[in-house]
Amino acid sequence: MHTSGSRIVRVGTSLAVPVRRRALVQGLAVVAALVAVGIATLTLGGLGIAPERLPAALIDIPGGSEGFVLKRLRGPRFVVAVATGAALGISGALFQTVTRNPLGSPDVIGLTAGAGAGAAAASLLLPGAVSVPAGAMLGAAGATVVVFVSTGRGFSSPSRLIIAGIGVSAMAVAFTQYVVMLQSRDQAAVLHAYLTGSLSARSWQNAAVIGGALAVLLPAAIALGRRLHLIEMGDELADALGGKAEQTRVWSIVVAIALSAAAVSVAGPIAFVSLTAPQITKRLSRTPGANVVLSALTGAFILAAADLCAQQVPVVEDLPVGVLTAGIGGLYLGYLLVREWKKGTV
Amino acid sequence: MSPRSSLRTHGYAPVHGVAPVRSGTAPANGITGSLAARDVTLAYDGRVVCDGLSVDIPDGEFTAIIGPNGCGKSTLLKSLARILTPTRGQVLLDDRPIRSYGSKQVARRVALLPQSPVAPDAIRVGDLVGRGRYPYHSLWRQWTPDDQDAIDTALALTGTAELSQRYVTELSGGQRRRVWVAMVLAQQAPTLLLDEPTTFLDIAHQYELLELCATLQRDGRTVVAVLHDLNQAARFAGHLVMMKEGRIVAEGPPGEILTAELVEDVFGLRCEIVPDPQSRTPMMVPLVRDFGHEQVAALEDASGALQALDEALHTDQSEPRSRQ
Repeated sequence: MHTSGSRIVRVGTSLAVPVRRRALVQGLAVVAALVAVGIATLTLGGLGIAPERLPAALIDIPGGSEGFVLKRLRGPRFVVAVATGAALGISGALFQTVTRNPLGSPDVIGLTAGAGAGAAAASLLLPGAVSVPAGAMLGAAGATVVVFVSTGRGFSSPSRLIIAGIGVSAMAVAFTQYVVMLQSRDQAAVLHAYLTGSLSARSWQNAAVIGGALAVLLPAAIALGRRLHLIEMGDELADALGGKAEQTRVWSIVVAIALSAAAVSVAGPIAFVSLTAPQITKRLSRTPGANVVLSALTGAFILAAADLCAQQVPVVEDLPVGVLTAGIGGLYLGYLLVREWKKGTV
Repeated sequence: MSPRSSLRTHGYAPVHGVAPVRSGTAPANGITGSLAARDVTLAYDGRVVCDGLSVDIPDGEFTAIIGPNGCGKSTLLKSLARILTPTRGQVLLDDRPIRSYGSKQVARRVALLPQSPVAPDAIRVGDLVGRGRYPYHSLWRQWTPDDQDAIDTALALTGTAELSQRYVTELSGGQRRRVWVAMVLAQQAPTLLLDEPTTFLDIAHQYELLELCATLQRDGRTVVAVLHDLNQAARFAGHLVMMKEGRIVAEGPPGEILTAELVEDVFGLRCEIVPDPQSRTPMMVPLVRDFGHEQVAALEDASGALQALDEALHTDQSEPRSRQ
């Protein structure tokens, strides 16, 4: 952490944190890109605020259509996209490090599929009694509990976690498909849009939910990040260095599940962000370990950019953003992987 | 190396019998050490590996733990590093239960290099070694002024300073093992526990690593290594712990405890113990099962000649253990 390309950031005598130059540059670049996406989100299209009027509009929110776009239509949508993307990015970074598996993500332990099944159950079995997002949360919680119990060791054995997760996922997906088949075409289409993950018509209430979750869980994830560096080297070495491998693993999974559950509750099961964001981060920063902050920024960028495309590219009306995250994130990760194969570093 | 008994105390005729099996909780044979196990039972998921084992790790000595596969050597090492909690008994650090220390406190006193640590991908040597500094950090202080010094010293001692900017994944097996040793050295713990540090290394790198261990011990550290090669253990270690089926069968200086009877008892291998012609430490020569009596007799003749040669050498050489 000290010898190659890092500076020690010191505040007084009690705070000293090494920061990598490359990571800092990357972080600032992603923040700049996020700001650009934010400006584009608010200004593009027929309802967009004129770019020259945007600074004034942000300071003093106007009334009329500009105010509506900013306060109701695109403002909360962008904030929800950023916060949800960040939550998914962190969740993926934690899962991938803890399971020592680059495919580790909340999808793998059945959380996303469980959320889908919960949403489906809510819309079919109890229409009106339970809202679809609440059903998704219950489904995610249910799937997590089933996985926790069926491993026999809780969250402490990564390999069992993945196997149990795949089993629970398969059952949840089967149930969801059954429900979609039973429903009328219109209902099925609505449910299907939700199951792919969507950010349309988000409110400040949604933003408060995901923002609140992030405010609590991001510091926790950062605090766990250093111990996760040790887990990467094997549990025995982590323990020998005082890193408490098992405790770190269990807490990381708890934080990751809470983050992705919060994300599911506001945006539905958005695929692929938690899988690709940490991988893209790792490849760009060329540093080992769970880069919590960088993964959060990358996740936020992927989701905000995908949502911008979903709003502005007139291919399909109201395209669910989940379709695009898979497209954008997947393509970029594919490009990075191909580049690495060509260089022979994989 | 520490002073050791002269060749004459360990010819191939057994001088001492098998040391008595230690039992009870009192420290035996007057060994004092800051790290000790007292009557510990060690188990994985209910499967008992060691039952009622006691051992003292002598301070400032190079201790080798030897025994057949699955006899509990690694398990013992893990319990000494506080990674494995005994189901019964105590591991003591300075006469206090090791459980009563904080996990980072223990890590500043006892460092463990496991058998197969995992190198994270895309990590540079300097960064990997830097991770050994974790026990000195906190959430707010992830860097201390001593870090760079500790890392540089660890790199210099293991001869890996020129590798510090290289990726760990592009190193050879021997280099990589030295880098891992550097990482545990950066931990600056007075006691080093190494689990099979020579496994999977070619013969030259094995000796390079053992010499590094000997250097570390000479510099004042306590080194404990699980080794597979009896002759390497006898040659480099000043204290030998022989284990079998979860028990300690014998312990002491190799020259005092290593006998053909002991090796046959522990490994089920018939052998001769002859003096190593260079270092004068006991050397085990296996007797291959198909050897007839004639061959054994011939071997005894040969070893008699060896001893004569050795005695002649001994009178000439004032510094018997120097390698140059």
